[in-house]
Amino acid sequence: MTRAAAVVVAIAGLAIATYLTVVHYAGGEPVCAIAHGCATVQKSHYAELAGVPVALLGALGYLAILGSLARDGEAARTATAFLAIVGVGFSGWLTYVEVVELEAICIWCVGSAVCMTLLAGLATVRVLSPPAPRTARAR
Amino acid sequence: MSQSKRELREQRRAAREAAERADAAAATRRRRAWRLAAAAGFAAILVAVGVAVSASGGAPAPVVSTGAADVVKGIPEHDGVLGDPKAPLTVTEYVDLQCPVCAAASKQTLPTLIDDYVRTGKVKLQARTLSFLGPDSVRAAKVAAGAERQGRQWAFLESFYAAQGTENSGYVTDDFLRSVASAAGVDADAALEHAGTQDAQDALDRADGDAQAIGVDSTPTFTVKRGDGTETVLASGAQDPAALSAALDKALAR
Repeated sequence: MTRAAAVVVAIAGLAIATYLTVVHYAGGEPVCAIAHGCATVQKSHYAELAGVPVALLGALGYLAILGSLARDGEAARTATAFLAIVGVGFSGWLTYVEVVELEAICIWCVGSAVCMTLLAGLATVRVLSPPAPRTARAR
Repeated sequence: MSQSKRELREQRRAAREAAERADAAAATRRRRAWRLAAAAGFAAILVAVGVAVSASGGAPAPVVSTGAADVVKGIPEHDGVLGDPKAPLTVTEYVDLQCPVCAAASKQTLPTLIDDYVRTGKVKLQARTLSFLGPDSVRAAKVAAGAERQGRQWAFLESFYAAQGTENSGYVTDDFLRSVASAAGVDADAALEHAGTQDAQDALDRADGDAQAIGVDSTPTFTVKRGDGTETVLASGAQDPAALSAALDKALAR
């Protein structure tokens, strides 16, 4: 159940990150409910990390999380948790930057931060829970 | 009796097995918790590295040309007032350091104003650094106040315009401000330290108050005042140097 929920949230996050990546490379401005907040964030130097758009890094992160969710072993669960905690940590930093440094809110970034937070919570629950028992296959 | 002993043995075995299962379950829980802690620890290290790179802008500090400050070279500055303190007219330029029109004016209009009127002792020039465009403006204006304390405000303003970035993009980092300050001949550490003081905030409040008093609602706006007389708006926006010169000549002739 938590795995299925994590897959749904990761797909939602991937959709957001993909949209922001496309907008970044297209040179446009994201559709934004809060006046020009997304454009301000998107144009800031915080929108790139060592020259790589953070939206692209986010998309790759969500893809990696989806990949880790494909299996249900303890190693795969730990990998999901690691990726999600990295994601939620960096999302926290970017949210701080938006509020304190740029004084601009990008609703898409907030959406991604919420997805990462949910994923971190779900991944933590999965790591601490025993794997689902394998069902016997009928011969 | 023998049945009772067998039952007792089975009970003991069941209890032992239950204890072993409980131990195994506890060990599994501990192992999972350690796995989670290890994942969180490595994640924290990775996040810290990412944040450090992000906060530094991911790029070296910009190299700011020292030539931008040459326009005010050799002109004395006292308390932010550039030129001869006895000059009959005081021209005040209301600026926002992030304002691109102000940067354009610094290239197109100020050289004529400075060479023909400030250097000749007809006009003394002062700036009021507003900060309505955003947080980058606030930080920049406060450091400009620090440069003013060192008698290098105008050199700082000109150097800043020469390196001006995209409005509110977060480019006004401490590294950026240090580069600008260094190019302007300002002690960067002292200027940045001053930016955190109440005096720097007071300078911003004074600039805002002066702007409101005279009705300045855009930058750059040039005002003129003779002696201790009334300050009046001379021109707003990017100005053709000839038009500003004509307005100043008119003010001087009064």
